[in-house]
Amino acid sequence: MFSRNALTLTPIAAACCMLAACGNDDNGTTYGGLVASSAYVAGSATGDPTLKAGHYQGATVCVDANGNGKCDSAEKSATTDSAGHFSLKTADSGDFIADITTSAINTADGAAVSRHLILRASADQVKDQGDAGIVISPASSEVQRLVEANGSSYATEKANLATRLSGPAFNQGTATLSGTDVLADVNTLSGAAQYALLYAYNELGNRYTYATTKFDRGDKYPDALAVAGGDPRLSGLSGITAGETVPADTRKAISFEQAQQAAFNIEGVPAYDNIFIIMLENKSTDAVLGNSRAPQVNGYLAQYNQLTTYYSTGNPSEPNYTALGGGDDWGITDDNWFGCGAAGANAPTDSAFAGGSASDGQPLPKQDALPPLDSKHLAGFSTTAGAPCSTSPTGGTNHNAPGDNLFTLLSKAGLTWRTYSESMNPGQDVRADSIADPAVVDTYDETDSDGTHLVGTSNYAVVNGLYKVKHGPSIAYQTARKLPEFVADNRTIFGTQYTEADWKKTSVYTVPDGWMYDQFGADLAAGDVGTVNFVVPDQCDDMHGVGSDTSCSNNNNGKTDGITRSDIYVGKVVSAIRSSALWKNPQKRVAIVIMFDEGEGSSTSCCGWNAGGKNSGDAPVTVDAIGTATATSQPSGYGNGNIGHGNSIFSVITNQQDVGTAAKGVKDSDAYSHFSLVRTLQDMFQIADPGVDASYLNRAKYTEAFIAQNLTALPEFAGSADTHFDSVRPINHAYVIPANYVQRLNPVDVNGSLGTDGTVVTPQTGPDANQNNVWALK
Amino acid sequence: MRMYMKFRLAAVLGTTLLALTACDGGGARSTGGAAAGGDGGGGTSPALSLAAQVGQKAFFDKTLSSGKNMSCASCHSPQYAYGPPNSLAVQLGSDPEQAGVRAVPSLRYKDATPPYDDNAANPDGVTLASAGGGFMWDGRAATLAAQVALPLLNPVEMNNPSKDAVVQAVKNGSYAELFRQAFGANVLDDSDAAFTALGEAIEAFEHEDVSFHPYSSKFDLYVFNKIGGTLSAAEMRGLVVFNTAETGNCAACHYAGVSFDGNQGLMTDFTYQALGAPRNDRSIPGNPDPIPANDDPAYDDMGLCGPYREDHTPAQLGTPDPYCGQFKVPTLRNVATRSAFFHNGVFHSLNQVLHFYNTRDTHPEYWYPGSGGSGTPVANPDYALQPRYVPGASVAKFNDLPAAEQGNVDEEVPLGSGITPDDNVNATTLGDGVRPREVGAEPAMSEEQMADLACFLGTLTDGYQVPDAAPSSGPCVE
Repeated sequence: MFSRNALTLTPIAAACCMLAACGNDDNGTTYGGLVASSAYVAGSATGDPTLKAGHYQGATVCVDANGNGKCDSAEKSATTDSAGHFSLKTADSGDFIADITTSAINTADGAAVSRHLILRASADQVKDQGDAGIVISPASSEVQRLVEANGSSYATEKANLATRLSGPAFNQGTATLSGTDVLADVNTLSGAAQYALLYAYNELGNRYTYATTKFDRGDKYPDALAVAGGDPRLSGLSGITAGETVPADTRKAISFEQAQQAAFNIEGVPAYDNIFIIMLENKSTDAVLGNSRAPQVNGYLAQYNQLTTYYSTGNPSEPNYTALGGGDDWGITDDNWFGCGAAGANAPTDSAFAGGSASDGQPLPKQDALPPLDSKHLAGFSTTAGAPCSTSPTGGTNHNAPGDNLFTLLSKAGLTWRTYSESMNPGQDVRADSIADPAVVDTYDETDSDGTHLVGTSNYAVVNGLYKVKHGPSIAYQTARKLPEFVADNRTIFGTQYTEADWKKTSVYTVPDGWMYDQFGADLAAGDVGTVNFVVPDQCDDMHGVGSDTSCSNNNNGKTDGITRSDIYVGKVVSAIRSSALWKNPQKRVAIVIMFDEGEGSSTSCCGWNAGGKNSGDAPVTVDAIGTATATSQPSGYGNGNIGHGNSIFSVITNQQDVGTAAKGVKDSDAYSHFSLVRTLQDMFQIADPGVDASYLNRAKYTEAFIAQNLTALPEFAGSADTHFDSVRPINHAYVIPANYVQRLNPVDVNGSLGTDGTVVTPQTGPDANQNNVWALK
Repeated sequence: MRMYMKFRLAAVLGTTLLALTACDGGGARSTGGAAAGGDGGGGTSPALSLAAQVGQKAFFDKTLSSGKNMSCASCHSPQYAYGPPNSLAVQLGSDPEQAGVRAVPSLRYKDATPPYDDNAANPDGVTLASAGGGFMWDGRAATLAAQVALPLLNPVEMNNPSKDAVVQAVKNGSYAELFRQAFGANVLDDSDAAFTALGEAIEAFEHEDVSFHPYSSKFDLYVFNKIGGTLSAAEMRGLVVFNTAETGNCAACHYAGVSFDGNQGLMTDFTYQALGAPRNDRSIPGNPDPIPANDDPAYDDMGLCGPYREDHTPAQLGTPDPYCGQFKVPTLRNVATRSAFFHNGVFHSLNQVLHFYNTRDTHPEYWYPGSGGSGTPVANPDYALQPRYVPGASVAKFNDLPAAEQGNVDEEVPLGSGITPDDNVNATTLGDGVRPREVGAEPAMSEEQMADLACFLGTLTDGYQVPDAAPSSGPCVE
């Protein structure tokens, strides 16, 4: 990094000479600079992407005198050379634009640019960098966008971006970037600072490419599902339930500046840097909310934000996690291994993994093409040829889910993901359940925040299935398991009952040399957590229950020690995140979600569910470029899925509430489901495009407008008495609930059931106190 | 939507037509009276597999009985939700001199029933494992395919002398060729194999044909948030009674939630309970159809502990055995279309059943025969089995169970108090220390709550047609 000055002096000096030699004529100033790029190269197996630095060759550079985001013919322009350099003599004043079309080359990977991209550098930046030292990059665009978003100054946002990118970075050391550094050519940096800036280039470059798409396409602004009040497109559609809030559509074609902002607030969901989703098990809202056995979880709910009408989408665990991973449960109604029902084209194509090490140094032992073939490692495994869960199934519901999912989309975008799972056996195949280990023995002994001291069965040995792949949101997806980084992204997190020393006594696998017991803690310290992180406690710390350790006892009524045990664990995880440099960096946007895979009792859901039941004839759909859906033929068993399993709590904590000015205590009672969460994550990390329905994963695309326009392909939604409830929207609180609308809580088990505190659960009538967004940044 | 409805109706008509042809008239099955329960609508069956097509033929084949006068459908009538087409407590056999020993259950919504297990997981995920699963009132058939054999070979039912006789009837039947196509050219040459295949065929029909799980009730419209599914005020109050542990507590066993294999709303948790139903015998004045077997005072039908199920027969009769008196919890779907209730069919109206649950402990004189006493008999309410009660008479409570087994009766709400002993919070029975309701005490439900509950149970009837306009008056409106 310190070599930067030496490297960059030369071109600046050269440019000065050139300027001196050419001189200013009365037709303006001669500017010089470059357009810097990054390229994501697929194939890294460490969990951190391979990112290369380069320049854009063949980009058109101009001063955007009229501020319309285009290099107009009246605005003089220049074209960048093979080193990304430009020299432009112009009398125009304003921001610089680099118009990078598909005829430009990204020298970072030598490939033609795949989508039109406009980058810019502000006039203030030019003043700062000098006429001859202009660097146009995703970072320069970002600084100017922030100036416009916040009504602040170039100096402020330059410093803020430096703060944002500084700190422990990707286990490469501490990145220390000055404001000058973040706006410099990334090619001139090195080490952690360069990688941190490359990661930002890539992420920001994706966003600005998307902004350019929106601008070129003339999208209306804002996105339909971000319009305050409700989706204005519904006013012209038939089949929408009467009485819904549908505002008039007063939106106009998006401007360049609006597009820049819209790309960071897709469908009203702000861009975040990282999210941690802590998964708990099997409790309805009434078993947790107000439960004195869960003081910490209830503390977060009371102090921070929550969704009060959140629905699971399946039963039991595996369909819910699979829905969280890709927006559909594919008809899975059990917890069985991914080979079940996977016949013919669905048969697993997993490759053997040669071994290696993760970005944080975790040694990764080799894995065979499939995990050990027995029911201890693979739930439901059958040795009977032809049986649904054998390696040669002739029937059953396919458990090897097809197509894209959050993990493949993140990977393709050069973004990172992790699943941090507690209590994997050291050395085990990450696609297999953990197994009993008589040599790993300890006594649970922890204290909750309210002083409750919980001691479990003395010297209790590790039982089968503390770690279960049914609780892995990526596991069911074939394409996720085929990602080169798949093994490296399945990481460890600290335990409670069993220590690092305990696990090292294992008698069932060989502990890899240098095995890391707590990658989660290490990654928080080294800045190597993922963009999207699922945190999966083991079956004693997640309120599920397994074995007979008394501290692990669980029941769906919320009246067992397992609740306390899980509350303690959640507290530890949240505390670890909140103690990290990442969380404390005021320019980062980091969120924690505490949620459950499913409630209990009744089979209802919302928001993209199979709203017609098992006879509905629902099937996955294909969607063409203009959003027309065509039903595929129904896969065996598909109709049994996506039916739901009731309500549960959903808590949101953001670092902007701790180190910034974001409001606390936001309650959003609009109806959301796992499919809504998938849509929200796609918006949050810009791995979908609201202008392209097909870009949303599976049932996450089933918005109210989409369903109304495609009802013949979606028979499960025919005859709906509440089309808003039945359809997907991002979690953004844009919709205003009508005055007489009664909150739909899981009807069959909430009506008349008693909450933990003995009161009948009363659904809310009418809108929320305010329309604040649980993800709001300020 | 219109197209969808039309298609659905066509499928239903098809089923009915086929049922009629297979049934060669006879007039035993009326299409009136419970048409709603017979509608198999609510969805469309995919084309039946070959095996299921065989099963469909066999299901309506009267030649599969000794007198060539009785098919599966004779007792499991499609017009009555595959339950009995009349109010008889037990049905007559193919040999009309014979009568069955238990009421005929509905064959609808059986798909998710697991095989019987003494420690079956409860589908609600909460209740501790207990006896559960299986087919027949005592769970002695592990699968629907295995269940088929029991009525076929039972002398008091279809009365075939052997598997061979059944297979011979199939061979002579119109679908022998279809059978061979489905199960192999030589399948009918081996009676054991063919008989097993016949069970599999009928099971396939029951699994595949949507009429066995139509989900076409008003309740389904309600759960799935469909137009027409708005419950009336009375029905909604009834749902609350159904769910509320302190009043109806029905959902505790007639579990409405998510079940195994993606099923839901089955209104049973597949468990077994001893409810202490009165003996269906001649001790009930004016009893329209006492069970003939009950004429023998030494005969006791005790469900899980026998006499038909044999693995829990007490080692020594007359000693307490926890399995005695327990019968399977049936689905409540289409319950309003039935007129014979409980394993012994002792009740003939839903109203009577609800009152039994509510007053078994508080007013046992309504339900069980009394002896002794003196003075002017007091008239019992019209729903009671026993029309009157002599003051001071001693009442033979739980008279369908030997005294030693009466501790097994369920004392959960609304039957009993539901109050468990401190040292056994999971107890449910008298013998485990759950307190009964005191005689003469206030029952768990009011008359209004029971009326509302009946209204809610009415929403569980398949084939619901949404009226053009919601009714503005009637017993189940307000």
